[in-house]
Amino acid sequence: MAGSDWRRAVGQGNSPTMKHNDPINLALTRRQFFGRMSTGIGSAALATLLGEAMAQRALGALPGAALTGYHHAPRAKRIIFLCMSGGPSQIDLLDPKPRLNQMSGQPMPESLTRGERVAQLQGQQLVCMGSRFKFRRHGQSGAEISELLPYTAHIVDDITIMRSMVTEAINHDPAVTFIQTGNQQPGRPTMGSWLSYGLGSVNRNLPAFVVLVSGTQRGQNLHTRYWGSGFLPSVHQGVQFRSSGDPVLFVSNPKGIDAAGRRRILDAIREVNLLKHEAVGDPEIATRIEQYEMAYRMQTSVPELMDTSGEPSSTFELYGEEAHQPGTFAANCLLARRLAERDVRFIQIYHRDWDHHGSLPEGIKLQCKQTDRGCYALITDLKQRGLLDDTIVIWAGEFGRTPMAQGSTSLDNYGRDHHMKTFAGWIAGGGFKAGAIVGETDEFGYDVVKDPVHVHDLHATILHQLGIDHRKLTYRFQGRDFRLTDVHGNVLGGLLG
Amino acid sequence: MGWFCSVGMIAAAALWTPCQSVRAEVLFNRDIRPILAEHCFACHGPDDKTRQADLRLDLPESATAPRKAGQAAVTPGKPQASEMIRRMLSDDPGERMPPLEVAKRPTAAQIDLLQQWIAQGAPYEGHWAFIPPRRDIELPAVDGDDWPRNEVDRFILAKLRQEKLSPAPQADRTTLIRRASLDLTGLPPTLEEVDAFLNDSSADAYEKVVDRLLSSQAYGERMAVYWLDLARFADSDGYHDDTARSMWQYRDYVIQAFNRNKPFDRFTIEQLAGDQLPGATLEQKIASAFHRNGPTSSEGGADALEYAAKYAVDRVNTTAEVWLGVTMHCAECHDHKYDPFTTKEYYQLFAFFNQVPEDPLIRTVHAPPAIRTPTPEQQEQLTLLTHADEAAREALETALRTPREDWDAAQRAWETTFTAADVDVSTEEAKKDEKRQAMAAIAAVAPAERNQEQTLALRAYFREREIDEVKSLRAVYDAAAKARRDFENAIPMLRVMATVPEPRPTYILVRGDYRTHGEQVYPAVPAVLGRLPEGIEGDRLALATWLTAEDHPLTARVMVNRLWQLVFGVGIVKTAEDFGSRGDWPSHPELLDYLAVRFIESGWDVKAMMRLLVTSAAYRQDSSVSAELLKRDPQNRLLARGPRFRLAGEFIRDNALAISGLFDRDRPVGGPSVKPYQPGDLWREMSYGDSPDKSYIPSTGPDLYRRGLYTFWKRSIHYPSFAAFDAPNREVCTVTRPITNTPLQAFVTLNDVTFVEAARVFAQRILVEGGPTFDQRLDFAWRTAMARPPLEGERDAMRRLYETMHEHYAVDTDAALALLSAGESARDESLDPAQHAAWAAVCNAILNLDEVITKE
Repeated sequence: MAGSDWRRAVGQGNSPTMKHNDPINLALTRRQFFGRMSTGIGSAALATLLGEAMAQRALGALPGAALTGYHHAPRAKRIIFLCMSGGPSQIDLLDPKPRLNQMSGQPMPESLTRGERVAQLQGQQLVCMGSRFKFRRHGQSGAEISELLPYTAHIVDDITIMRSMVTEAINHDPAVTFIQTGNQQPGRPTMGSWLSYGLGSVNRNLPAFVVLVSGTQRGQNLHTRYWGSGFLPSVHQGVQFRSSGDPVLFVSNPKGIDAAGRRRILDAIREVNLLKHEAVGDPEIATRIEQYEMAYRMQTSVPELMDTSGEPSSTFELYGEEAHQPGTFAANCLLARRLAERDVRFIQIYHRDWDHHGSLPEGIKLQCKQTDRGCYALITDLKQRGLLDDTIVIWAGEFGRTPMAQGSTSLDNYGRDHHMKTFAGWIAGGGFKAGAIVGETDEFGYDVVKDPVHVHDLHATILHQLGIDHRKLTYRFQGRDFRLTDVHGNVLGGLLG
Repeated sequence: MGWFCSVGMIAAAALWTPCQSVRAEVLFNRDIRPILAEHCFACHGPDDKTRQADLRLDLPESATAPRKAGQAAVTPGKPQASEMIRRMLSDDPGERMPPLEVAKRPTAAQIDLLQQWIAQGAPYEGHWAFIPPRRDIELPAVDGDDWPRNEVDRFILAKLRQEKLSPAPQADRTTLIRRASLDLTGLPPTLEEVDAFLNDSSADAYEKVVDRLLSSQAYGERMAVYWLDLARFADSDGYHDDTARSMWQYRDYVIQAFNRNKPFDRFTIEQLAGDQLPGATLEQKIASAFHRNGPTSSEGGADALEYAAKYAVDRVNTTAEVWLGVTMHCAECHDHKYDPFTTKEYYQLFAFFNQVPEDPLIRTVHAPPAIRTPTPEQQEQLTLLTHADEAAREALETALRTPREDWDAAQRAWETTFTAADVDVSTEEAKKDEKRQAMAAIAAVAPAERNQEQTLALRAYFREREIDEVKSLRAVYDAAAKARRDFENAIPMLRVMATVPEPRPTYILVRGDYRTHGEQVYPAVPAVLGRLPEGIEGDRLALATWLTAEDHPLTARVMVNRLWQLVFGVGIVKTAEDFGSRGDWPSHPELLDYLAVRFIESGWDVKAMMRLLVTSAAYRQDSSVSAELLKRDPQNRLLARGPRFRLAGEFIRDNALAISGLFDRDRPVGGPSVKPYQPGDLWREMSYGDSPDKSYIPSTGPDLYRRGLYTFWKRSIHYPSFAAFDAPNREVCTVTRPITNTPLQAFVTLNDVTFVEAARVFAQRILVEGGPTFDQRLDFAWRTAMARPPLEGERDAMRRLYETMHEHYAVDTDAALALLSAGESARDESLDPAQHAAWAAVCNAILNLDEVITKE
């Protein structure tokens, strides 16, 4: 039958499909590679995308990266950043405050709050608000965790709780921008794009920086800037893997063109582009040919990644049945593990709706129910697969919430405003301490009294674990050498194991 | 290591910088300042807060001053007796400079250059870009060579000769017309345009094409795409929940400014201060929206003062970037480390821009100050309605006031029965009718005793209620007033600039913190760049006037460099966004000055400058490159070949639409933003809240196929196919879009419905217009997409593709019909689906060819 003939024709390889042992192709690729290097544009783009072996031969340990080598031996290879969008309440989750509980309903000491910034509480009387949730010690480390996080309680010996995180922004947009880029103003690259730029990609079939989103429209909106590349070339921006429709925008062939037809069209494009390259010698053409091949591979690798139907039942016993449902936090955690297995450099999960100005008890219960088990499962899964050793997992919001009440002071439906002087999160794997608590806040949970973990310091420390001196990963833009930590940042040895 | 070996080092360095041949002489600005800026100025430069050892290496007086500890940092003529060199070469960790803890070290070649410079006497120069362009540049001699077509070429050729290179031959005509069409209009030439050019044997055939393109409406659209990046123009507020705004009238202004060739100095003044011009026209006020384009927030709990400061910062940074080509933002928090801009000077600029009567936490689409922006036709109609309204009001007023015997008689009779309360309403209710109370009081006064005011009031009250003729005049007036009001309210509004009546005081914000006021400052420009004229008020108009003065060192250079970048890909100054001391040395410094001066002297004529560039022999060269030349000059800064680079995202889409015929070339330019196809509901997935405007509702009909610059630009969720092709989200001013090359781009042009629909509609066009045979059809397709006929190899590849796809679709009609259903436009059902679908597959390939998305 005619229809099957042409499918077979493709399969038999009599079309000019690219092969890696093809000498023309190899020469082409090499020329393209050096061409790109000398133009200075996109050498890291190349890294992200070029054949792995090729790039490794040319650059050593860091395929196509802006850095020619690590600044020191890395402890971690990749990052999973669980971004709790909206700002979870540390007071109700990770930083128990008995004294605040006792003072609940009484005025907040002015000595703490005078002259300090507040957001929606501007001009209002500030009243202490304890937590209605119980804290209990868990694990060998005996870390105190809220009853809201029964699953996280099982992994306290694998994580380090940071009770003294500090940021500089009090509104969502600048605060997320700050924790992602080290600057509150739009326009800077995010951590993931810095890593893509600095370290390149290990996987030749997937982007170096992948973003997954869960939560609802009740939560603060997200901006693509939160995974943008700022002034770095856009090849370093995060690619969102979506739970409905095309997992990557436009990855699916249009109706009426199947995989074999697509291959046939790509072959024709390639053939004509090769002729063009021969005629005009522009290395961009060779790069484009490579990009189309990568696109073709992604048409397989992306659906394959997203398809968790082949996971054993034990996986879903660990992550919960919710992990079957695309777009849930649990499903995204499972995808994060699959991305980590495939050596994607930076995996970012956003979970929305932690912005509990009012009715916090009800809201936070729901958020914890949606996220707690996924966190536990991810850490446990990474650990049992040996991936936690070289994967850094971070859990944090963009800021914390006030120890003062917003709206009601009733234990049933109190709320909390944004708080930037301290917030809490946890970090695990990649050479970070396990089973530890770092930092301390005052008895009201208002301010840090010991071992602050400033966002800049966190960035510096994370880069350090990846083998990067945060002062040396720079990009010249508008005459200035920019870096993730701006002119700040110290590596916090206290966080490291 | 002594400095004697430096020649070898420099020769080696020259290999890496093809624009500079082996140097006989070290030039401070080209060679030395960048090294000092990179390694020394942070501690020994303009910022007195971080200065160490009271030493400034940016000033010769300080650098060469004797030091108490020993020799001067720089001893002219004596590198060996210069402390700077000794410290740089020292092995002693306590002495070494830059200090060991500094991550970045100068290279040996850089230290050698410094030594050579000192040996030459350590001559300092002011930074070249801060000195006005030279007006005495002589055109380089090119003795007898007939390659140059205009002045640009003489500079290019002189440099090529110096580099022992020669220009490439002229590109063929099809390449030329396509190149010029894409550069000047962002659209490919039509078949008719290509044929007309091929058949025109006159000597100025190409110039005629250029003039046609420059006078086409599409020219303004093309230029606007680039300007809107600078103006950070968008359709949403940017911060927080990124609410929609409506600023398209500003975009129309930009398009028209380029099309009418508004002189660049006027263009500058109107955008920075159109509202402050005496008797500002509507157009000038619209232009001032330039500085209402920045991102704004309406986040609950945000601090208005903080955001007011952010907006002024955005305006300062954008103004500096667009007209000065320098980065000011470092000086927001501290004195600039390597350019001579102080924090005080930053806030002196800030003082021009924090005088806007705006609510920083804007909560409406047309956040004030805003104006209505009628079109001329609307204005005419509005004038008519206003006249009608006024005439009706006058007729009514006359009828209410003027004494008239019959009505007055009727009034006298009426007064006898008129009381404070109607008989048929309760007294309580009547008391509420204050007007009636008042009138009853007047009626109780004898007519002769009433004053004029009372008489008129009662007369009007009576006639309006009791006289039918007056009642109908009232109805006419009400209708006229409503018609006018309704019409006026339907006229679009626009946020514009305005000025507070009383100037606000401006203070230095210490370390950029809006809560910490330092010294009070007043509007002024950075000292190194000159000063505002004496006796002039320090407002935005003054700033704009200063920027467009004939001796301004930067404005003209920065603009011509960007125009150059548009057509040649890389600017004469490669760092088009940075003309400061760390910016790149110009590839052709004299040419840059020549062009800047010529630009000013032409009356800031943008079209003339574009014409000069695209009619040069340099521009017309063939763009193919040998491996050797590629290695020598990868970025084509010497122009030994023609420019070749990928189109911007908007133009890649415009091209597909134009090639397919989906795009109506005759549609008038301008108008509100449109929403082309976008997969799923990307907005809703990421938005906050559930209101209807959180969903992306695509446009319908012809609005689906408008040019890319009209696409709704949502900052937080950028139109995905443009984002894939490096279009910025326009949260900040963008001078240069990177040109990357990624698989996500392949997905867009392969699979985005916009491109799939374009492919199948293009296929339809080929079948209908392209002739009966495969070869004729492919010729038509190739010439429509690339202006040229296919080569044999290309024809073979496409024939094979066509045949296999046709075979497939012949047996799988469902697949054919599925492919042919992409997009909303109608399919010509008279065409055979298998044939049509197979051609659609071929067109899908064509629209993905490197050449089709590349200007070459």
